[in-house]
Amino acid sequence: MTSSSLFLLLVLIVAVSYFFGRKRSEVVAQSVGGIRHLHSLPNYYGLMAAVWAGVPGLVILSLWVAFETTVMQGIVFSGLPDHLKTLTGPQVNLFWSEVYNLRSGAISAPSDPALLDAMAHITTLEQQSKIGKAVMVIALSVLGGGIGWSLIRPTQKARNQFEVVLRTLLMLSSMIAIFTTVGILFSVLFESVRFFREVPITEFMFGTKWSPQVAINAEVAGSSGAFGAVPLFVGTLMIASIALIIAVPIGLMTAVYLVEYASRRVRNIIKPLLEVLAGIPTVVYGFFAALTMAPQLKTFFEDVGVNGVSSESALAAGLVMGIMIIPFVSSLADDVINAVPNSLRDGSYGLGATRSETIKQVVFPAALPGIVGGVLLAASRAIGETMIVVMAAGLAANLTANPLEAVTTVTVQIATLLVGDQEFDSAKTLSAFALGLMLFFTTLLLNIVALAVVKRFREQYD
Amino acid sequence: MNTSVKDTMESTFAGWTETVGNAMLEGEARMSTRNTDVFYGDKQAIFGVDLDIGKNEVLAMIGPSGCGKSTFLRTLNRMNDTIDICKIKGEILLDGENIYDKNMDVVSLRARVGMVFQKPNPFPKSIYDNVAYGPRIHGLVSRRAELDEVVETALRKASIWDEVKDRLDQPATGLSGGQQQRLCIARTIAVSPEVILMDEPCSALDPIATARIEELIAELSENYTIAIVTHSMQQAARVSTRTAYFHLGRLIEVGSTDKIFTAPDHKLTEDYITGRFG
Repeated sequence: MTSSSLFLLLVLIVAVSYFFGRKRSEVVAQSVGGIRHLHSLPNYYGLMAAVWAGVPGLVILSLWVAFETTVMQGIVFSGLPDHLKTLTGPQVNLFWSEVYNLRSGAISAPSDPALLDAMAHITTLEQQSKIGKAVMVIALSVLGGGIGWSLIRPTQKARNQFEVVLRTLLMLSSMIAIFTTVGILFSVLFESVRFFREVPITEFMFGTKWSPQVAINAEVAGSSGAFGAVPLFVGTLMIASIALIIAVPIGLMTAVYLVEYASRRVRNIIKPLLEVLAGIPTVVYGFFAALTMAPQLKTFFEDVGVNGVSSESALAAGLVMGIMIIPFVSSLADDVINAVPNSLRDGSYGLGATRSETIKQVVFPAALPGIVGGVLLAASRAIGETMIVVMAAGLAANLTANPLEAVTTVTVQIATLLVGDQEFDSAKTLSAFALGLMLFFTTLLLNIVALAVVKRFREQYD
Repeated sequence: MNTSVKDTMESTFAGWTETVGNAMLEGEARMSTRNTDVFYGDKQAIFGVDLDIGKNEVLAMIGPSGCGKSTFLRTLNRMNDTIDICKIKGEILLDGENIYDKNMDVVSLRARVGMVFQKPNPFPKSIYDNVAYGPRIHGLVSRRAELDEVVETALRKASIWDEVKDRLDQPATGLSGGQQQRLCIARTIAVSPEVILMDEPCSALDPIATARIEELIAELSENYTIAIVTHSMQQAARVSTRTAYFHLGRLIEVGSTDKIFTAPDHKLTEDYITGRFG
């Protein structure tokens, strides 16, 4: 029986336990004079019986599936002849892929006769495990269901117990996001440590030259790559700043117009259009930036007498990115401005303030924390955006303060470093993880600063 | 409301012609409304109200919920302008000028006719900045020292100075409900209005805070004209000099507070103040 059919069987047992639990509570209720003498509604008794049936079986099933291969391979490995026991790292993987290939018939002649023994051994173990797993899971869930069923009596606080179960479930759900974040952080961290063994961290953080090409063969001239990340961070900051300079004022003014001035009809037209703008894939913005915006900018600056404008420029990418994130700023700001109580506006109008005075002096300060949040979200979008930059700003890692030159960003470099077939052991590919780590800490820092700002300037209105 | 009372009311309205009592004053009205109708979309909320508010008097407006007294109050400084579907007909005069005239600047009108709301609504700013808000936006003062003086005077007049003088830079939202409401009154006084409109100013406050606001209203009436909407008939009786009774958008009866509460002329007024309905 495969794990998935076992899971379906488990679901069936849970459903059966629910119905039996429910039934039993109704029967039990008869003896004490009706359902209203039970502590909880029959539904809750059924649910608790189902929980008893489902949880232990599910836990065992997932543990079994998670560890069975490792355990079985360990057992087989310990029974191998001595010359194979000394295998390490990649060689072990090679050994196992040969064993599995042998079994599937992809290889007919084993390189070592011991492989045939290993094959036979693991096959027996797998069959045993399959049976053991099925028996264990079914037994546990039936037993659990039985315990749940036998616990049912009028005084059982099934309603309160189920509340505890639900609370645990909700808590576990909230943990998923945290564990994922921690997992990502660690995977990036370990690879970064490997990278920093090859390239000193100081060079990475303060070096001003980025050219990650490492020759396969050390004798080729110019083989050593340069891993100074400063040009990438400067490029990222420049493009993100241009984007925010465009998006924050326009987005905020849009939100103010929509909430405070626009009639309902105008609002009903503009809001969906803004949402369409938010839904356009960034690749499409990329075309627009590369094919329309960049050449136009080049022509414009050459007309006004600025020479040496690159056809790929930070300005083009930043401008288009700014337009892309306007809806993020405006829709979040719209929500928080809407949430400012009308009584505050009335108070201000009642003193003879005009609309704009009211917005500037009362509505904005009250909405500030939310607005900062929206701007921050926009900033993280701008820092994380890749496609527009690839297409409009190029890949050249120039260290420059001139927005008319081609620059590149951290995310673009990560993407280009990892595109295609790569081996994850050269400094070139590992540098992507180091960049990722830096990006992670940058956004983390940004969040912390923003939270501090919000706390400091928050004006509470409730 | 039982059937007999409802029947009485409907028959009363069938023959309803005009307000009972002295709705119009001779010569000394600060504000007057003439044949004022208010509509929310198609629904009429106020029917042809003629009412004068005299100088330095406290006019209480009472009536059952939904009778239009708050709506009427808000038309007096054009607060209903912010509601798109609200339309006003007839004249409303402040010192003889029609406030709905095209040339009337609503900003300066609201500086002349201030408003205190049902729920205290201090701005999320410091106590000082709350009071200084009006003088600042209207450019009433040019120097900081003058502003300090205006703020202090307003806070003193609203009898809250002693409680807040040591913490003017603290957020106003940290004050108690009653203090917040007195702060809102101070904020209104700081722009030196001629008329102060109060929309159930004590409905969110406890009895002690209410008593303080009522004392304050009595003091303020020496310098300002006050129109107050209230649900509490005791409050109307305590603070006002004249009382107007509204019913279903119509002004039923106006008279000196003593008379309204002791010998009302109209049946509906009598039913309301004796607690037959409302």
